[in-house]
Amino acid sequence: MDKIKVRQICFFLAALMPAAKMLVYPTTLVYRSKNDLLFSALINFALEGGIVALTMLLAKKTKMTFFELISNTFGNVTAKIVYALFALFFFGAALLPLMEQKNFVMQVMYENVPSIIAFAPFFFVCFFACVRGFKSIGRIADIALPLFILSFAVLMLLAVPHAELGALLPVRGVPLKEVLKGSLYSVNWYTDGALVFFFLGHFEYEDRAAVKVLSSYAAGCAAVLLFLALFYGVFADIAVRQQNAIAQMSKYTTSFTSLGRVDLFFIFMLALVMIFRLCIPVQVCVHCVCRSLGVKPLIPAAIVSAALFGLTLFLNYSFLELQTLFTQKLWFVFLIFAYLIPAAALLLKRGERRA
Amino acid sequence: MHKLWTRIFACAVGLLLLLFFSNDFGLIDIQETAIVVALGIDAAENGEGYDVTAQIAVPASTGSGSAGNVAVKNAKTVGEAITMLNHETGWYPTLVHCKLVLLGEKVTEKDVFETLDYFLRNDGVEDSCLVAVCEGTARQMFQAQSPVNDISASAITKVLSSEAQKSGIVAVNILKDFAKQYYSVSESGFLPYISVKSEADSQGGENAQPVFAGQNLCYRENAQPVFARQNLCRGENAQPVASEDLRRQKTSADSPFLKKNKRWRPKREPLPISAAATEGGAGGSGGQQKNGDGNADIFQADKTMLFYKGKRAALLDADETLAYNLADTDTGFAFGNVTMDEDGTPVTYTLKMKISKKKQKLFFENGMPVFTFDIRANARISDADKADSILGIAKTLLVDEKILHAAEEKFREELLSVFTRSAAAGCDVFALRQKLYRHHFGKYEKFKDTLLDSVQVRCRITFTSLK
Repeated sequence: MDKIKVRQICFFLAALMPAAKMLVYPTTLVYRSKNDLLFSALINFALEGGIVALTMLLAKKTKMTFFELISNTFGNVTAKIVYALFALFFFGAALLPLMEQKNFVMQVMYENVPSIIAFAPFFFVCFFACVRGFKSIGRIADIALPLFILSFAVLMLLAVPHAELGALLPVRGVPLKEVLKGSLYSVNWYTDGALVFFFLGHFEYEDRAAVKVLSSYAAGCAAVLLFLALFYGVFADIAVRQQNAIAQMSKYTTSFTSLGRVDLFFIFMLALVMIFRLCIPVQVCVHCVCRSLGVKPLIPAAIVSAALFGLTLFLNYSFLELQTLFTQKLWFVFLIFAYLIPAAALLLKRGERRA
Repeated sequence: MHKLWTRIFACAVGLLLLLFFSNDFGLIDIQETAIVVALGIDAAENGEGYDVTAQIAVPASTGSGSAGNVAVKNAKTVGEAITMLNHETGWYPTLVHCKLVLLGEKVTEKDVFETLDYFLRNDGVEDSCLVAVCEGTARQMFQAQSPVNDISASAITKVLSSEAQKSGIVAVNILKDFAKQYYSVSESGFLPYISVKSEADSQGGENAQPVFAGQNLCYRENAQPVFARQNLCRGENAQPVASEDLRRQKTSADSPFLKKNKRWRPKREPLPISAAATEGGAGGSGGQQKNGDGNADIFQADKTMLFYKGKRAALLDADETLAYNLADTDTGFAFGNVTMDEDGTPVTYTLKMKISKKKQKLFFENGMPVFTFDIRANARISDADKADSILGIAKTLLVDEKILHAAEEKFREELLSVFTRSAAAGCDVFALRQKLYRHHFGKYEKFKDTLLDSVQVRCRITFTSLK
């Protein structure tokens, strides 16, 4: 059985969830919300926190997976259709972060822009992770936590002296409409609740599991909010141009003039965590395909990884269009799949709690 | 089946290794690349556009590299000039190592972000690079021969070091911070103003001091030497050594000094600073260390240019720059002179000031804006231009109240002068509008246009010493 532990879900929320929001998300948020970016982020976190809480509530009441819940209520065919749709959703949700990460690796880690083929090995890693299923997500979370804590702490400490937190003032400076738009147009970065939702039935609900998971989620949120605050503190009015935010914030430390960019060591470390995080929606996508078609993961994993690789090549010069599409046009898709459908799961027949 | 997957996996690994090792590891081919260490931007001498000078490092096997200047004239944009560099030299210019962008004086007559935005659009140049304005043209500035470094851009970078900033003599700015200032609601910023002085000029003045080997000294006409950096070549606490003295110590390997001190060993590879000083002292040919007149050029950056909406607004002199640094930047300690009348004779004291508090606040009193500077510093006498008694020298940590008051008064005058001069030019160098926007947002619309004229400035400056 594809199992994951509560501890690993906690680690996922505390370490992998924040890592996904450190490249293009801050600039996208700043574009609308400006210095009120923290409020936009808080709205998203509250909504996503609701989905995480709902998952834990359902996990407490039933040991069924989401597939079994739908099947129990509407029948097997409906469950397969819903899972097929979710497979498409997670495939799409993986695409923009994948392009972000590809651009990050190519722009920050190479002096000259390398061939796109330099990013190809990721798809082998992704394929391997997809074949291994949810168990590997747990392992990924176990590995990611210490890497994330160390790298994030060092990078933030390096950024603190250059951050002027007064730049976040005034609180009422941006109209509420723009703050809400900022939330809405960045909702595609908040699919972690939906990912946790698909762990339903794949972990044993233990004593105080909800408290542990929600506390971990709060820790992850705090890390993102701290990061966003420092990011805006460092760049203020020019924050909107700072793509690959995490790689920019720590480079102003004076000692680097003689030592060189030692912060890159920690950026590499964080990049590894980001790579792990990128695999997870693809893994869930493959999981959905497998449940939908009733097949083993090997072939779907190969097809999905190859399709993503092909799209990465095809969309190599279309990042801006892709970003506009996902943030400004497809936000309702994310609202439906990442929030509404999981919330509707509360209405599904839970049946008898299995022993 | 298992064997098949093992083979597929081995093939995949082989393919990846092939890709990895066939890319020269993404390294730059040094033979085809121009490593640009600094860019100078001048208004075109003839016609429209810009003259862009790139200082390109020429690595040498001896370890002491030099640099060549390549100029592109009449480019419409900086981006075009960079492209033309490739056409004219056949080298592909890499800007990753560009640590300095130098603007010619004429460029500042227009919005400097007409040119600087190139560096914000492109990640080729790190936004942590230094930006400065120079007297005359950047091209001439790059041609100057510094005794500190063979590469003039490196010599300028040394003058603009963070240590110089901390001692208050130079108001250093990097591209990111200058852009932040420009795009803020204050639309005002500052850049250090670089001028070059030949060694002959600096020695020729009646009251000017001789050039020291350390080269970490900045000069003002008729003033005491001011230490920009303390780390002279003989150690942090050592006194500066004149070039001639240093030359004697370095070159006289069999001097009595060495014979008595067996543990002392001359450096196998003397510091370039020492070498330059030696050549200067010996009056040799000088080579690259000299300008056309046979004298080395010394870069000065003790003036500061203020900008409003990207255009030149005012030029602060050395004293005003020091006052501005003490009030607004990262300066933690500084040296300053104060002249007192003692028994009918003017006596100049050099005070060393350690800033213990610096705070600025904008608030409203009776509906009108008030801006306060609250600055506290501990002062001690570093030197005086009189022969003091041994007791006076022993009590150098104790500064007379009169001297402290005189210093406070001088500092207040300079600070108010900075404010008045910048405000007169519309420049909001203390970011009052930004403070208004952030902390008094409700009053922003009402006061944003009249703030600099209507604000009342109060200075609470307190210098103390050991008692």
